[in-house]
Amino acid sequence: MNTDQPTHSVNQNDAEPVAGRSTVPIWLIVVFGLLFYWSQLFLAENAGGFNKDVYSPYPSYDEVAAANPQDPEAKRRTEGRRVFMTTCYACHMATGLGVAGTYPPLAGSEWVLAPGGNRIAHIVLYGLSGPINVKGQDFNGTMLAWRETYNDEQIADVLTYIRSQWGNNARPIDPQVVKAARAEGRANYESSDELLKMPVQ
Amino acid sequence: MNSGPLLFLGLFATMACSWTGFVLAPQLQLGGLTQTNTVVVGDALAQTYPLPQPGEAHAGAEIYRANGCAACHTEMVRPSALGSDLQRQWGLRRSLAEDYLFAQPVMLGAQRVGPDLANFGRRSDTNGIFLRLYDPGLITRGSVMPPYRFLFETRKIGLFPSPEALVLPDQDAPPVGYEIVPRPQARALAAYLLSLRQDGYLFEAPPPPLPKTNAVPTNAAPAAAKPAPK
Amino acid sequence: MSVTVSPASTISSASLPSEQASAEAWCPFALLTLFAGAVLWLLASSLLGLRDSLNFHNPALFAGEGYLSYGRVHAARNAAMLYGFGVPAALGLGLWLLCRLGRTQLAGPAVVFMGAIFWNIAVTLGVAAILCGSSTGFDGFEMPAWCAPILFVAYLMIGLCALLTFHQREPGPLYPSQWFVVGSLFWFPWIFSTAALLLLYVPARGVLQATTAWWYAQNFDTVFLGFAGLASAFYFIPKILGRPLHSHYQAALVFWTLALFGSWGGAPEGAPLPSWIISLGVVGTVLTAVPILTVATNFYQTVHRDVNTLDADPTLRFTYVGLIFWIIAGAQQIVSALPGVSSITGFTWFGAAQKELFHLGFFALTFFGALYYIVPRLLGLEQGAWCPKLLKGHFFLTFFGVLISYISLVVAGIGQGILLADGGNSFADVMRRTMFPVRCIMLGDLLVALGTILFLLNFAGVLAAAFRQCRAERKGRA
Repeated sequence: MNTDQPTHSVNQNDAEPVAGRSTVPIWLIVVFGLLFYWSQLFLAENAGGFNKDVYSPYPSYDEVAAANPQDPEAKRRTEGRRVFMTTCYACHMATGLGVAGTYPPLAGSEWVLAPGGNRIAHIVLYGLSGPINVKGQDFNGTMLAWRETYNDEQIADVLTYIRSQWGNNARPIDPQVVKAARAEGRANYESSDELLKMPVQ
Repeated sequence: MNSGPLLFLGLFATMACSWTGFVLAPQLQLGGLTQTNTVVVGDALAQTYPLPQPGEAHAGAEIYRANGCAACHTEMVRPSALGSDLQRQWGLRRSLAEDYLFAQPVMLGAQRVGPDLANFGRRSDTNGIFLRLYDPGLITRGSVMPPYRFLFETRKIGLFPSPEALVLPDQDAPPVGYEIVPRPQARALAAYLLSLRQDGYLFEAPPPPLPKTNAVPTNAAPAAAKPAPK
Repeated sequence: MSVTVSPASTISSASLPSEQASAEAWCPFALLTLFAGAVLWLLASSLLGLRDSLNFHNPALFAGEGYLSYGRVHAARNAAMLYGFGVPAALGLGLWLLCRLGRTQLAGPAVVFMGAIFWNIAVTLGVAAILCGSSTGFDGFEMPAWCAPILFVAYLMIGLCALLTFHQREPGPLYPSQWFVVGSLFWFPWIFSTAALLLLYVPARGVLQATTAWWYAQNFDTVFLGFAGLASAFYFIPKILGRPLHSHYQAALVFWTLALFGSWGGAPEGAPLPSWIISLGVVGTVLTAVPILTVATNFYQTVHRDVNTLDADPTLRFTYVGLIFWIIAGAQQIVSALPGVSSITGFTWFGAAQKELFHLGFFALTFFGALYYIVPRLLGLEQGAWCPKLLKGHFFLTFFGVLISYISLVVAGIGQGILLADGGNSFADVMRRTMFPVRCIMLGDLLVALGTILFLLNFAGVLAAAFRQCRAERKGRA
């Protein structure tokens, strides 16, 4: 079928169209750029991190997880572990065994396993300097005061954590205990003698 | 752009981009979905979700498909930010991919000439369904839904009237001695429609936060929503 | 399998140049079969649409045994419109443009003819099966599973001939229409086979079926049909005005951005899918503003000196009006993709309005414009072979029919959306209050159907004229 040479007289406009060489106008490129920029912003807000569990209107996985009913015990354990792994493990080690002569162990420590948590709350809040006897051995290091860094819930969480790790099995610590210890307003760097004078609560 | 092969290559790349993003990636993410547990509040028990359709409901899905019900009805509930679906009590929560795990085929629909049916099983019963299928105008004044009378048959009353016989107003009632009963297709369709429920909250659509009271939390939706207007 | 003899050789035994010349004046069956079939299916879909819009006047009418109930007719109408009309029209246009721009003959016209026959048989059986209850339930892919292989094979037959025709083109730079045709022809087998596999043969699990169906429908409309119609517009508007297309580079920008961004999307807001799938779709749809603006600029610059003469030629008139409708439909799609708007217009008549405008307003009008040019040349006749009254009637009936349908659907959609946004309004109440514009759709369908009938009459007249002319030639030679 050769349509270019019709055998009867038809409209003889047989020249095929050509495309001119004009360029793409700048404003179009600008519009394209702006729309592309908008689209990236839109995706950042509305694509939920390309996570399969994120449905609108939640913007991210964390928000979906936060909107779900929380298990308070699990949350406390997670937070306690986080605090320990951020701060405490540097000296007391991830194994809870400490460093001989300097940093006392937490595993099996009678201080940690005491029925009440006020003494260890004091240690964490106000710090400790001078010798301390743990499990029959002396340790002579300095523990910093953490009362400006962590709040009552966090300290209670990390105390609960250390009382449930490495074979320790003691009751959780309530944030009220830490709050009461903080209210005493002691000066930083107590000594172990002062602590031993306090009744365990 | 004068080379045929380059043109094809470019088209191939563009098509691959679209195909990867909208066919492959969703398959990779959602293709492995399995049954999961509902999210509960307080002491309620978590339940396996979703449950497979019973056999008759599956047959009913075929009737739904064959008659093009998806032309007028959708089966997906939108979140409250995107529409008034939840306000209308069309569902406990928005619809999720998990809800359609056992649906075959998946008939989500595209337009609402009639109401959404995703949770029709939560708000209807067999008799209501039969009456509406036989003559939608009886239930909803001015309805544009066509009657599906071919799903029913008029037959002579046997020894006893059938318990499924439709109770119709006088002008539509069958002649004396006859009754109108649903055929198996109507029963299957009713079974399918009653199986349409998206119960239970899931991780992706968690329950709304409970009001701060001392009451024992349950797994029910908060009572704050308006009653459904009809 | 490049058959380079003219298809007329299957009718007469002409082989000498002078006889071949007159044989060429006889019907090239292949393309005309595609075109005629497409127009007849368009009429069928208009009639099915009429039956559907009757539902809103009297739902009980035709509800009888179910064969003509609303849901089945809706599915059948979609199938007729997309597969009976859309695909063959796109194929026919594409083949003709490839021959013209490649300055070559159609490769394998007999194969194309057979393919067209198979295609039409498959669609006929499929539409009948849908009316008997075999629709698949997927919007845009309604024909039953056994139709898909026949359609695929028929398409391959025609598509391979198109590929060969493209391959045997005269060397030289490609004109934008050629890219669009090649793009359109390339796209269909991929999306069709993916949809057939994942929806029917090895069904994907759960909501992934819906994702695939939405992706397929979006690609079918925006890329496959869009490219075919744009190819025609890019060819006819400059050609008939006798001016060059304003910019080759802008055309290239349109081509690649429409292919890239137009192929993303399909899933409506609020669909039960993770938010990234829907957001990517929104982004793709909004970025199609770039090809739309580029087309508008390119064509405005091409025609602005001749705006007064745009209505003089029928092909030009149909094509430029179709292009304007394409721009409007595209803009509407962008607006309705935005989350703020889709929370109101989602799942209402608004979406149906956009599809109606795209299929009828853009694609059908562009197709008819092309036909008014192509058919006389295929038959070796003068342009004046068309009856001007029927032509004018066809244009105005179709134009106003589309406009009435579109505006009614938009008004109904926005009304429905705004009323439904208030959870206090009962659904039934909202439907009763928006019934009036919905009922007006019937008038639109009626006008379009009448317009198509006028075209068919005109077409019959042209065929008769060609027949008479050919007989006169044979008598003259005898």
